[in-house]
Amino acid sequence: MSNASDILLEARNITKRYPGQLALDDVTFRVYRGRVNVLIGENGAGKSTLMRILCGAESHDEGEIWMDAQLLTLGSPRAAAAHGIAIVHQELSVFANLDVSENIFAGREMVSMGMVNRRAEDERSLSALTRLRKPLEASTLASELSLGCRQVLEIARALAHQSRLLILDEPTSALSQAEAETLFEAIGDLLAAGLTIIYISHRLGELMRLGDAFTVLRSGKVVGTAMRGEATREWIVTTMSGRPMHVKTERRRVADATRMLEVRDLTVGRGLDGGSAEPVLDRISLSVCRGEIVGIFGLLGAGRTELLETLAGSAPGFTGDIAVDGHRARLRSVSDAMDAGIALVPEDRQRDGLVPELSVRENIVLALQGERWLSRTKETERVMELVRKLRIEVRDIELPVTALSGGNQQKVLLARCLARKPRVLLLDEPTRGVDANAKAEIYRVLRELADEGLSVLFTSSEIEETEELADRALVMREGRIVAELGPGEMTDVALMNAASHDVAASRIDRRMLTT
Amino acid sequence: MNASGAKLLAKGRLAQSPARLVLIALRMRALLVLIALVVVFTILSPDFLTANNLSILSKHIAVYSILAIGMTFVVLTGGIDLSVGSVAGLSGIVAGYVLTHGIMIGGIARYPGVAAAIVAALTVSLVAGAVNGWLVSRAAVAPFIATLGSLYIARGAALLFSNGKTFPGLGADSPHGSRFFTMLGQSFLLRLPLPVWIALALFAIAATIAAKTPFGRHVYAVGGNERAARLSGVRVPRVKFIAYLVSALAAGIVGLLIASELESAHPATGESFELTAIAAIVLGGTSLMGGRGSVSGSLLGACVIGILADGMVMLGVSEFWQMVVKGVVIVLAVAGDQLQTRLQAKLLPFLLRSNAEA
Repeated sequence: MSNASDILLEARNITKRYPGQLALDDVTFRVYRGRVNVLIGENGAGKSTLMRILCGAESHDEGEIWMDAQLLTLGSPRAAAAHGIAIVHQELSVFANLDVSENIFAGREMVSMGMVNRRAEDERSLSALTRLRKPLEASTLASELSLGCRQVLEIARALAHQSRLLILDEPTSALSQAEAETLFEAIGDLLAAGLTIIYISHRLGELMRLGDAFTVLRSGKVVGTAMRGEATREWIVTTMSGRPMHVKTERRRVADATRMLEVRDLTVGRGLDGGSAEPVLDRISLSVCRGEIVGIFGLLGAGRTELLETLAGSAPGFTGDIAVDGHRARLRSVSDAMDAGIALVPEDRQRDGLVPELSVRENIVLALQGERWLSRTKETERVMELVRKLRIEVRDIELPVTALSGGNQQKVLLARCLARKPRVLLLDEPTRGVDANAKAEIYRVLRELADEGLSVLFTSSEIEETEELADRALVMREGRIVAELGPGEMTDVALMNAASHDVAASRIDRRMLTT
Repeated sequence: MNASGAKLLAKGRLAQSPARLVLIALRMRALLVLIALVVVFTILSPDFLTANNLSILSKHIAVYSILAIGMTFVVLTGGIDLSVGSVAGLSGIVAGYVLTHGIMIGGIARYPGVAAAIVAALTVSLVAGAVNGWLVSRAAVAPFIATLGSLYIARGAALLFSNGKTFPGLGADSPHGSRFFTMLGQSFLLRLPLPVWIALALFAIAATIAAKTPFGRHVYAVGGNERAARLSGVRVPRVKFIAYLVSALAAGIVGLLIASELESAHPATGESFELTAIAAIVLGGTSLMGGRGSVSGSLLGACVIGILADGMVMLGVSEFWQMVVKGVVIVLAVAGDQLQTRLQAKLLPFLLRSNAEA
């Protein structure tokens, strides 16, 4: 298979630097013609950066991209499209205000005499959609389509423009199982028609089923490649995390068996965008004891963020019971949750957390607005106390919060939540965009807080983080809790297997189609 | 599908039909309001449907609709153009200046005629539009700020040009005026005022561009999802730039029509026109967030605004109350828009289901 003509595209020695970060370090990535080329790696490993470079949305600092023995210059999405490279982004880029046919031809309209040739477009979009087994009406508005249909719409866009290389970035993250199944069948058809596919996903089951060639990225470097047959689940997981498989045995002593947070049958209906028909959260029941750290592991779209936001009161409109310290909590707003003793450190610091124009002190005391008559001296005292307790490295608390490193910014958010003296602390991806040392420091702080009796519930899409921090792990998938793992059971493979839905051998084996 | 299935489906349709009817009514609210206004004013004022009044009314509507149609492109991209009123004023002043003062060539004033005056006025307008477009698309200045700036700059330029005075007598004989110039705003064709024909022609062109050309598609794409548009290869800056050019060109044409109609160019012409145009666009169902709306909606909105204003004048409603009523109508229009969006979201499951059935 290493024959040169088998390789459609080769990215050679690609390096990409962001300010203060080496996103891709001398990456060489071979894409085999007519195959499913799987790219794997944890969040932040550089997968999306590499894909953005291949589809022309970003430029690389060093290295070359060759396609069919031709050196490519991919300055813009237009240029990449001209070479037949198409991408279906992780966050769908559908135009909700345009109809099916307009979406497929956005930016590449079929024109005759200065006018859009609507009839020709409709014909071609219908033929592309028929190939994908979803003959949608050309005049249906995209806003009226389900998420699965929107995904198909994006792939149809690539098909209608005769792409040779199709990049699918986490295509199943927003899909139901049935929708994913249709997608896999469509992928089989596309391969049979001679298309080459780059496939990015965290779900081991579908990778094992679809993948022909595997490339593993870690911290911007290629750390392993394998062909179908050589790549096992264990190989993928260990290569991805860079550590031999291990079982967490050491156990933090949880002092108390009092159930601080108790959730029973929590259900949240369809998403606001009216996407899929399945509930976002489906009869979730869990409990967190006093002083316990519970981790929720799950892949993108499993419902982790929705769960925490519901518990933090920012998503009213759920059914089920939530009790804090034995008292039923009515969570209709964020201040309800705060009064009940629940505080959330959100996933996206910049968007949902910090106010960049304000100082460290002002950011921390934001949560104290409810308390009247707080003098400036008292305020400063409280802030300094938290700064010392969390070991926030800042020379002056009047400095703008943006002057701090990511880890310290995260601690500022943590301090804000603690300022209200919560009994349950929720953290959504507690160490996102934080370097390794700061990570360890945040873990240490959280353990200290738990030792003092705080109950901690955090979510993570990183195996290592879940194993490192959690006393007990819950695994979420498709809005449900599908597994509970104690300290002795938390292994890489156990977590990953529980989180990815494994589709049993399908009715149509695509091997039969390709050979 | 068998007969019982069809019956079941029909039953389901029936159950949702009141909601559907409300939705359709909301979608067509500008048209309904227009019809209601015409009926009310016809009953209350016997002079409303006279030929003379309709001629004046249609000229007003022509001016509003040209402004609104031009700005619709900007609003569809998610922007706004606050400078249209000032640009209209500047355009009239430039035309008036060229007609009355001529152009100095080699120390001698030459009077190059109507065509040159029109070309000069429209060129200046396009320059204003290009500045707006450049600021928004290349310098990434927020559209509100960029066009607020040019609102002041264009108005100031008009005042500087005329020294704060009016250029009168544009209809006089040459060399200091032209009867041809006044024909633009005053003549009739097939018993309709010429400005109405111009507005209809511009409407036809704009509607075709919006619905049928790649540029029109790109305008909707940029307003709907700018990031996706860029990733799809749409040249986002160029689309925005052209949208501001279109808006300024429409404003320039309006300035010429008003100067021609009044036979004089006044530097304060067009004050607060931008607000009227925005009101017309919003009434026509175009979202200020961009991506949703239509040129025909803006035409409809301009008709509503024009009839409402003139009708109230005819009924002798006090000027103060006229303002209040206009404000109420605009707010209700936007509230109706929100109601429509929410109702649509509620009906989405049904729509999805009918998709699945089809």
